[in-house]
Amino acid sequence: MILILHLTLILLATFISAYLIRHYIFTLTALYHQERPPHHTPHDMVYQPKVSVLIPARNEENVIGRILHRMTELTYPKEKLEVIVIDDASTDQTGEIAEDFAKKHEYIRVAHRKPEDGGKGKPAALNHGLKHAIGEIIYCFDADYYPQRDILEKLTIYFADPKVGAVQGRVTVLNEPNTLVTRLVALERIGGYRVDQLARDNLGLIPQFGGTVGGFRRSLIEFLGGWDANMLAEDTDLTFKTYLAGYKVRYVNEAECYEEAVENWRSYWRQRCRWAKGHMQCAFRHLWPLIKSKNLRLREKTDGFLLLNVYFVPILVGLAWILGATLCLVHSSSWITSLWVSIPIFVYSSVGNFAPFFEVGIGAYLDERVRIYWLIPLLFLTFLFNMLICTKALIDLCLSKITGKKQQPWAKTLHNGRGNRCLNAPRRHPLKDIDI
Amino acid sequence: MSGISLTNWQSSGHRRRRPNYLHVTVGVGVAVTMFLAYSLLHCMPNEPALVSIAVFNFLFIFLIFPLEGSLLRKVFLLLSGNIVGLAWYLVQLSFEAASAHYLEMGAFKVIYVVMGPIIDLIWIVSFWSLGLSFLASTQSRNEKEKEGIS
Repeated sequence: MILILHLTLILLATFISAYLIRHYIFTLTALYHQERPPHHTPHDMVYQPKVSVLIPARNEENVIGRILHRMTELTYPKEKLEVIVIDDASTDQTGEIAEDFAKKHEYIRVAHRKPEDGGKGKPAALNHGLKHAIGEIIYCFDADYYPQRDILEKLTIYFADPKVGAVQGRVTVLNEPNTLVTRLVALERIGGYRVDQLARDNLGLIPQFGGTVGGFRRSLIEFLGGWDANMLAEDTDLTFKTYLAGYKVRYVNEAECYEEAVENWRSYWRQRCRWAKGHMQCAFRHLWPLIKSKNLRLREKTDGFLLLNVYFVPILVGLAWILGATLCLVHSSSWITSLWVSIPIFVYSSVGNFAPFFEVGIGAYLDERVRIYWLIPLLFLTFLFNMLICTKALIDLCLSKITGKKQQPWAKTLHNGRGNRCLNAPRRHPLKDIDI
Repeated sequence: MSGISLTNWQSSGHRRRRPNYLHVTVGVGVAVTMFLAYSLLHCMPNEPALVSIAVFNFLFIFLIFPLEGSLLRKVFLLLSGNIVGLAWYLVQLSFEAASAHYLEMGAFKVIYVVMGPIIDLIWIVSFWSLGLSFLASTQSRNEKEKEGIS
């Protein structure tokens, strides 16, 4: 029995250590690897097709004006730009605010959804918007986001490569100074985008389409059947569908967009619960096709496998911790037992937050941040949260499989527009190069 | 296909340098010397503490030593981190001795086994972050001074 427990612990530690090594490689890559350029085109030419920007919005009156105002400031040629606000049966002033912008700017349009059709989640709203879009490239931005003025140029150039099916820009937290939660989310974002996504792109692995601040080739999204309204993480679902269809996703670190992050633990819990469930759904759906796929190289398959399983890691770390501690107490015979208990714990903060502390630290260093490092030890809090969230998500998914109940409806994150204060006071914002 | 040049936006002001291999070599030398010293002075900590210190040294030497910054400062931070690791080990030993004397040993062991590694990791993460913070703030100050001069 003790032997079986030891073997289980070895297996768990090995699996978790694979993530640790992966993230260590990512960190070194982000630090020293040369960034991959966009597809080569003649130097005086650039790919600039007609693009459509979809902005799904349900009860976003606090923030919709901000992003629409920004849309009017984009430097992408207006004759090649189309902005479609999908008013997802809002009960507040969202539709009216969007209509005001549409009256003043002919490239902005509003697609209203009826109360009986609306409120079924972002994927359903995006599919509705896609029907109205005429662009060759389809971009999505959440209503609480605030992109750089030249973001579309930065992203669109990558579509010059016919193998690229989707692109993803960088997400940075706008309301970072507001609360402890926003600061910790900012740290997670730094690790996730500045190091993780960038390294995956540089190494030719699987950068992830994040559902917003990114776009798809229209032909591809239509071929894939649009956004799957049954998936809670439609972005991860599309990422893997794209790769399985033989296309690539590119990550563009310079294309920055500012988001209004969740400001309290309750919202953090709701949002991450949805992400965890959605990601696990994707793991169940795409793991086998990924292994069998002939369109992917071995390193892409390996990275895809690890990416799909990333939301199981906090649960496994918890299990390894319990198992290691039990073994230490029950069978405390040699130094090996002490080491067993150490291994998963050393790794917990490494992978529990989906970005190890050293990855976050190096990301902040690359961004030339100065003070944020003091908060890194507090990532322990989000690790504990994520361990509970992922465990609950897995239990919920298993229960819904057993009972045949449908997944919970889309839990929308509410935005209060407090990020506007950071825009109005750019000098005090920690992001020194914010492009207002 | 027409319009703006590709190079309009590709220049990046972010930090990216060649790793400083000399600093890494010195860091490895310092760490090896410290472990030899523990062994020669017969003050080798127990296995979990040793693993903690080794993990700290590995992450510090291979991620922070290659970055820009003064070698002396880095060595000082590495040594300080090791002293903190040893101090934690001594505090832990004192608690162990005290609990064995006044309480039941079992009670301490349960707490130690469950919580010890977490506390181990907290000093590693804190000190590693502190080191990077020192390095980044010095670098930022130097860059500002250079900008001021130019």
